[in-house]
Amino acid sequence: MSIKSIELPGIGTKYELETEKGDKIAIVFMDSGRIQLYILEKGSETPTAAELNAWETRRLGSILTGAIIEAEEEAVEIAFSTLSDLRISIHTYVISKNLAGKSIGELAIRRRTGVTIIAVSRKGKNVINPPPSFSFEEGDVVVAIGEHDQLKTFESEILGI
Amino acid sequence: MEQIALALFTCLILAIVSKSLSLPPIPFYILAGILLGNSGLKIISADEVLHFFSQLGLIFLLFYIGLELKPKRLVSRGSAFLIAGFIDLNVNMLLGFFVALALGFSYYEAFVVASAFYISSSAMVIASLIENKKLILPESETVVWLMIFEDIVLAFLIFIISTGLQHPFVLILKIIAVVCLLFAIVKFVKQSLLKILQRDDELPVILTFSAVLSAAFISRYLNIPEVLTVIALGSALSTTNPKAFERISRPFKDVFLVLFFFFFGISIDFSGNLSLMQALIISFIAIVSKLFSGFIVGRTLHKSYSAGIEIGANTITRGEFSIAIAAIYGSEIVSATVTAMVISTSIVGSFMAKYSSKIKASLKKLGISSKP
Repeated sequence: MSIKSIELPGIGTKYELETEKGDKIAIVFMDSGRIQLYILEKGSETPTAAELNAWETRRLGSILTGAIIEAEEEAVEIAFSTLSDLRISIHTYVISKNLAGKSIGELAIRRRTGVTIIAVSRKGKNVINPPPSFSFEEGDVVVAIGEHDQLKTFESEILGI
Repeated sequence: MEQIALALFTCLILAIVSKSLSLPPIPFYILAGILLGNSGLKIISADEVLHFFSQLGLIFLLFYIGLELKPKRLVSRGSAFLIAGFIDLNVNMLLGFFVALALGFSYYEAFVVASAFYISSSAMVIASLIENKKLILPESETVVWLMIFEDIVLAFLIFIISTGLQHPFVLILKIIAVVCLLFAIVKFVKQSLLKILQRDDELPVILTFSAVLSAAFISRYLNIPEVLTVIALGSALSTTNPKAFERISRPFKDVFLVLFFFFFGISIDFSGNLSLMQALIISFIAIVSKLFSGFIVGRTLHKSYSAGIEIGANTITRGEFSIAIAAIYGSEIVSATVTAMVISTSIVGSFMAKYSSKIKASLKKLGISSKP
């Protein structure tokens, strides 16, 4: 698999890759800031395409990179090669009923697992760096940061999955 | 004042309508001019202010072309690009020229008509490739580069048409001197230009606008065609930060160009010598000719007939450049002919580009295989 980048004057830049199975995928970053995503199935002559805005592209990108580690949840793993291969994972989880009403401090998340909750999204509103007194509600989406093993501990100790 | 407001407002409404029908807006701007102008309701007449604004539209369009003229880019593309470009040029120029001769134009007028016949509308072609989501196809790369090739040829065609090949020696010397001077000045002040372009106050805009206007003024003073000087200015400035200049001049280009098309529509006189039959003939051949050249390009470059249909269908549309050529030359019969051609090819072209995959599929059903 190799990715070709192709200049399209007046339009933008096209990145093209052919998958192992022979399907073709192209992503066009247009000068206007919009992005078009194409898929041309092997043997087909008519491609399917979608047009995305910058936010949708980032979202899609994080899902695609997350899929390498965890298929069912959304996560990103960042590696800093300059810091002797420090790898940090960022993972999202949905708070279930049994954690509702409990605060971050009460659960002692950092002390027990090493994981830090860096953001909570509640009904479309985001709380960045929630304080220890922050209480969860059912359906909150939390963003947790830590090493891969710490996140595993978090899942079993706190979330009970 | 109220004339320009009325013109722009009419064009705005037509643009909204045309875009909701996924049709290109340029023919509608011209039609609006025809409708409200001399050949129609005679509500708006061609006064000096409107004329000045429409001139600005032409000048900014050509300045934009100049910014895209980067000779280095072409050299790096290699032979496939040149082959496609020359097939497109030869097929369409020759066919356009002979059709125009057959319709009774003089040799020189036939050359002007052939130039307008040859040059596709980069703006509409590229917009339709994006709109119809064709960018994954390798054919669309060929189409994009064909447009670049045509833009370069356009600079030469405009040179020939605007000078009219009169007093060629002195004129060519003057033009070469101005072009060299522009490049030398830009090279000399490049660093300060780049610094000004980075500012986020009004300076970059004033710089761009005044540079373009001064170039046009100087060429009037020296009695050389201003359209050439602004192309040269654009090309010289493309060595600095062409993206910034494009971004800054785009609003000017967009507004004034609409007025340019509108004004062109106003000043067309259909009472003259163009018969409906002639208009239909040249429009029809203009469509067939691009399909034919696209077909040969597809067969040569992509080894496939269906690629050829795709390239042909996507390059049918003639537009802003054909109108520009007609406006620069300025004869009534040529303008009327080119208008008929632009309106019909842009509408047919936009449908062909949209339904090209259906056309390919139905040709396949008829038993025409896609591989030669």
